[in-house]
Amino acid sequence: MRTIHQLFGTSPFGPLVEHTKRVHATVELVRPLLDAYLDEQWDRLEELYEEISKREHKADVQKNEIRDHLPKFLFLPVDRGDLLSYLKEQDAIADATEDLAVMLTFRPRPTPETLKPMIRDFADQVIRTSELLVEAGSELVDLFEASFGGPEVDRVLEMVAEVNQQEWEADKRQRKVTRALLDEADGLDPVAVFLWMRTLNVLGRIANHAENTGDLLRMMVHRR
Amino acid sequence: MSASTVALLIGLVSAAYMAWNIGANDVANAMGTSVGSGALSLAAAVVLAGIFEFAGASLVGTHVTETIRTGILDTSAFAADSPILGPEGPRILLLGMVSALLAAGLWLQLATSLGLPVSTTHSIVGALVGFALVSVGSHSVRWGVVAKVSASWVLSPILGAMVAAGMFLFVSHGILRREDPAGATRRLGPHLVGAVAFLLVLSFIYKVLGHIITSPPWWSVVGVAAVLAGLAFLMTKALIERGWQQPEQPFAYVERVFGRLQIVTACYVAFAHGANDVANAVGPAAAVVQIHSLGSLPPNVPVPEWILVAGGIGIVVGLATWGYKVIATVGGAITELTPTRGFSAEFGAATTVLVASRMGLPVSTTHCLVGAVIGVGLARGLAAINLRMVGRIVNSWIVTLPVAGALAVGLFEVLRYFLA
Repeated sequence: MRTIHQLFGTSPFGPLVEHTKRVHATVELVRPLLDAYLDEQWDRLEELYEEISKREHKADVQKNEIRDHLPKFLFLPVDRGDLLSYLKEQDAIADATEDLAVMLTFRPRPTPETLKPMIRDFADQVIRTSELLVEAGSELVDLFEASFGGPEVDRVLEMVAEVNQQEWEADKRQRKVTRALLDEADGLDPVAVFLWMRTLNVLGRIANHAENTGDLLRMMVHRR
Repeated sequence: MSASTVALLIGLVSAAYMAWNIGANDVANAMGTSVGSGALSLAAAVVLAGIFEFAGASLVGTHVTETIRTGILDTSAFAADSPILGPEGPRILLLGMVSALLAAGLWLQLATSLGLPVSTTHSIVGALVGFALVSVGSHSVRWGVVAKVSASWVLSPILGAMVAAGMFLFVSHGILRREDPAGATRRLGPHLVGAVAFLLVLSFIYKVLGHIITSPPWWSVVGVAAVLAGLAFLMTKALIERGWQQPEQPFAYVERVFGRLQIVTACYVAFAHGANDVANAVGPAAAVVQIHSLGSLPPNVPVPEWILVAGGIGIVVGLATWGYKVIATVGGAITELTPTRGFSAEFGAATTVLVASRMGLPVSTTHCLVGAVIGVGLARGLAAINLRMVGRIVNSWIVTLPVAGALAVGLFEVLRYFLA
């Protein structure tokens, strides 16, 4: 057949936005998960862990689907390496969320009341960071439509700058809650302190990966 | 039945097959995307393609046909009074043209069934050169013309890429990258249609007027084209303005409007394709008919108009009997070429093909379109271009020349054994 249709590969941009959404579907459960832990609803905690794990797997499937359709001989409007790094970093957000869920199921114990509001506050800030990233990432299809130029790009770059800003806020809250935890460390079970240190760390990683994903989005869009 | 009548019949059947094949397989590139985006129904696409292919073939097809018929071979070497072949000359040329047609047709059929993207144009030129080399030798090939044609095969996809990229950059800077893409479409859309209509009508009217008054002054041609383009402009404007309201999803709106605009470029491609590709079937056929009736092939006798018309009919028949299926398949498969991109690519390809046709250069429409698509891709307009496929297209281009040439040589020897 002497036709041109074989000239076209599948567009990665729609599937990338789908991956963004699937990743965020795991982050959405962070607050309910922490609430379940802090409110000592252990059955609910277990359920939420299962659900997060399921959603993380869905994001993984989507990630591999995109990779499988990006052979080296495709010519893309963005750098293929940038695109794959972006995908990898975005997927790491879901991985970190799953790690958090795993961490919380290890040793369900009551939490000191004084720490609870600070933990919730920190978690909310992490989620806000991820939400902003989802907004920026969801613009990819429109970005492609506008051939990566004009106000559409400016809009995305502004969003990415905002992700950075929010991640910084999350860092500050992480420092605050960590200090509060260590202030009370003498009266607490050392294993609990150890686990909370790690848990807060993993929670912070979600925001860090969101920030990195935003930076890679900027690279991908801004290069050339 | 005399031997030369048998040869004539084989030649005409092969030519008809070539024309059918061009209509059946190549037209899909022009109309497929419009059907795929839903801007045209399959039936409407077939009718429009038929009209514009036929118009292109019968009105603008002469230049390229002349090149295929007498430009590539030095036909004086085959004259009856030529010392090389003697009185047998015209007969051998007739057999050669028949074998070239047969070889190109067979190769196209084989390549199509193997899924190779080969060019009709390259097949027939390769076959002609192959025949000329064995029958008279390399001095009967007009190497200057062959070099010019070969250069045009390299240059035409590049030109197509440049024009398409330019058009896409215009669309993306003028519309897609604006704060209000829908409003920009409303403003620029009618102008784009006017511009395409102007180019289309220009090459169309030039010929039609040429039939009414000999050598029409350029201003009358431009004037008529401008008036008709103005009409197209006003019609588009009326269509866009009717029930205008700021759409909620601007990009979806832009694509919808371009889906309509793309119908114009699709017709433009069909017209250019007819103008260029009819020669592949009709060029050698014209030579065969003329040798049979005149006993020789005088280079100064023009191609009879009825042969171009017959070629046009052949293409339309191919389109109606098989091409519609290919259009439907291609339309379903090219979802990545959205209307803004398709519009730009088709504009680039058709402009290139039409310019080449006016210069008498037999270029490959498919290759121009491939070049144009890559041009849009380089302007960051396409999500994913399969470079391996581009490589295969280039390879099949290189393979086509020797294969078609060798096939023509083989068939010529067979025909000469039986008929001469």
